[in-house]
Amino acid sequence: MTGPLRGLALACRGVSFSYEEARAAIPALRDVSFKLGAGRSLALLGASGSGKSTLLQVIKGLDAPEAGEVLLDDVPAAAAAGAELRRQVGLVFQTPELQLFATSAREDVAFGPRRLGWQEPDVAAAVDEALALVGLPPEQFGGRHPYALSGGEQRRLALAGVLAMRPRLLLLDEPFVSLDPATRRELAKILLRLRADGVSLVLATHDVDLAWALCDEVLVLDAGRVVAAGPWDLGEAGRELREASRLREPFLVDLWRRLGRDVASAPRTVAEAAEALR
Amino acid sequence: MKPAIAQYYPGDSVVHRLDARAKFVAVTGLAIALFVRDSFAGLAVFAAAGVIAYVLSGVPAAWFWRAFRPLLWLVGLTFLAQVLFAPGEPFFSFWIFHFSWAGLEFAAFLSLRLLVLVLIGSVLTLTTAPLALTDGLAWLGRPLRRLRVPTDELALMVTIALRFIPTLLVELDQIMRAQRARGADFGSGGPIRRAKALVPVLTPLFVLSFRRADELALAMEARCYRPGLVRTRLHPLRAGIGDAVLLGLTVVVIVAGLLV
Amino acid sequence: MTPPSAGPSEPSAESVDGPTAPEPVAPLLDVRGLRYRYPGASTDALAGLDLSVAAGEFVAVVGANGSGKSTLARLLGGLERPAGASTAVACSHDLLSEDGRMAARRDVGVLFQNPENQLVAECVEDDVAFGLENLAWAPEAIRARVDEMLERFWLTELKTREPHLLSGGQKQRTALAGVLAVPRRALVLDEPTAMLDPAGRDEVLEAVRGLRAGGLAVLYVTQEMDEVVGADRVVALEAGTVVYTGSVGGLFGDGALVRRLGLGLPAAGELALELAAVGREFAPLPLTLDEMLVALGGSS
Repeated sequence: MTGPLRGLALACRGVSFSYEEARAAIPALRDVSFKLGAGRSLALLGASGSGKSTLLQVIKGLDAPEAGEVLLDDVPAAAAAGAELRRQVGLVFQTPELQLFATSAREDVAFGPRRLGWQEPDVAAAVDEALALVGLPPEQFGGRHPYALSGGEQRRLALAGVLAMRPRLLLLDEPFVSLDPATRRELAKILLRLRADGVSLVLATHDVDLAWALCDEVLVLDAGRVVAAGPWDLGEAGRELREASRLREPFLVDLWRRLGRDVASAPRTVAEAAEALR
Repeated sequence: MKPAIAQYYPGDSVVHRLDARAKFVAVTGLAIALFVRDSFAGLAVFAAAGVIAYVLSGVPAAWFWRAFRPLLWLVGLTFLAQVLFAPGEPFFSFWIFHFSWAGLEFAAFLSLRLLVLVLIGSVLTLTTAPLALTDGLAWLGRPLRRLRVPTDELALMVTIALRFIPTLLVELDQIMRAQRARGADFGSGGPIRRAKALVPVLTPLFVLSFRRADELALAMEARCYRPGLVRTRLHPLRAGIGDAVLLGLTVVVIVAGLLV
Repeated sequence: MTPPSAGPSEPSAESVDGPTAPEPVAPLLDVRGLRYRYPGASTDALAGLDLSVAAGEFVAVVGANGSGKSTLARLLGGLERPAGASTAVACSHDLLSEDGRMAARRDVGVLFQNPENQLVAECVEDDVAFGLENLAWAPEAIRARVDEMLERFWLTELKTREPHLLSGGQKQRTALAGVLAVPRRALVLDEPTAMLDPAGRDEVLEAVRGLRAGGLAVLYVTQEMDEVVGADRVVALEAGTVVYTGSVGGLFGDGALVRRLGLGLPAAGELALELAAVGREFAPLPLTLDEMLVALGGSS
């Protein structure tokens, strides 16, 4: 890789989408609007079925919105000019097993770059780099069969398969589910590194503490509608909304409030918190 | 994403309440009679019986149509094949095709027969929960147990398959989406290229299904399931007077259809 | 997602879970030197594990992925055969014998992680009935028991719903109702909340909370350290053996062990360890926000 990655700016304007079901169309997204600056990170929160996964898939272009539009670097993604930008959006699905199919880790990760039409040496370089980035050194893991890896390793391999395509905006759907705490921390570190590299992130998760540690901004969905958006909303109104959508407040934010400190400057990590409280 | 078979429509009509075994026997009887009889008059009798049963079932026309529509292809195809290749004095010929009045009549008869069959069969599947149907079939197949055919296990197998069809479809959709997100293209290229694009889709689907089978087997064992066990049912099959009436009426319809 | 409409069922004395045995002397689950190796594996999944759980006790089991937690759950449920040298008794059935395992499957319920993969039937009530059907209960008795379970786990309104139309929490409650429909003496829960969203997790935890009242021995396997708080005892596994057994606070107080095992602390505990590292120590270790506030208030 040469030089740091630059993130894509993302905006959704009045995006609506419904699923066709047997008897009626079920709205999954209703008039969703928000903006995320280049290199910023967004936590997408909300209960199951609130539309988080759908929103990610609409942003990636797997589903076309019925109304509204997705903008990447201010270019409508559905327009001809947006096609190349859309290729720079990476989407990692929740279940790694859904995404792995090749007979070796290296081949699996190479799938995406080859679809981009890259030359073989470039593909190989991208694969090695992505495997190393997710903590699966290519010399050790490259030849392993994806299904012979542990759950946590599979999750990281699926992430590598997307990172090898060098996304400028990375969308992650529940990346922490059913990982043990140590593996969760590993994954969080990888995401922090990507963020430091300038990649824009959208992280759909139920883990508010990790979301707080990783994301600059927050978007809360409830039944397909945006109920809170922007910087972490720390006011009373925000609390009511969170209760309505059954969200807990991040531990450190809650602690800071209950200690009577300024919540706007609550620490992002326990290390920072300990430093402040020593 | 629904399988293209006549989907069960939950309801509480007279037809719904009938025992699955009685309905199955009645439909089988009618189907056999339908194929034995080769006159339009007989067909009309069976069609009338089918229509009456459908009306009594209270299944909305839209629901019925959704199940029925895909099968019209089959009917249309049968008609065409018969019209084009049936023997008889042709009134019009073109290349290898000969149109004759006898051929037209025969084609019309065969297609109508198929239509009536589909109608009668649909009433069964529309008004009978798949579970009740499999249980009914297992019961009717009991004599086969003597021949060491594991009918109850087969019935359970069908139940589980039905239970997991929607899950599998969702999973398939997710896998294809994950591949598309990495640049896969399922819509273009020749047949070989398209078939190749399916390998990355089917591999995870199989792997997941095998793991699912494994976990499911364990969960079933944990709930005391053992093959060959004599099981009871929460909803035992119960035949009543209605079912006797149904079978009686079926006999009447069959006799009438064969004699007119 | 539908939040439970009613509260959890009252823990009542006449709970039907298992006979009210007057002599609760012997532990319900008792294994010593428990060994197991998966066919074709090169190492033991369980390598001489000791554990016992008494009636009415709620024991949490923690450990990293691959430490043997799920294998333990399978063996205790009589679903796999322990290796020869082990002593393994579940509800006074010898797990080494085929007959003992079959009997154990009746008395020990096992709830698995993935709710999707444990529902067999086409609707909720048929699924809850599955175990009783296998035990050849009379249809009327099944009906009564199933209705009771539906009521207890707030599923009555969903009883004819197809599994694929349920939320994760509803699926897992259905699975739990199905496991407990068979009268049990012990219950092993293998990460029952791991695949659920917070609302689903709350639903299942609420359902789990009422369990030990009936004298049920509960073994709760989890990765979520918040869920460990409140257990009578916690057992930590590493490479198929028990490396800690004792109080919850005791485990979390041993920062080095917690790190080595790849466990996570509840956020409050994490912060407390971090504070200890910069010279501000608390004993006992605060594990909840409230305890942390008390500790901070008290020592400042």
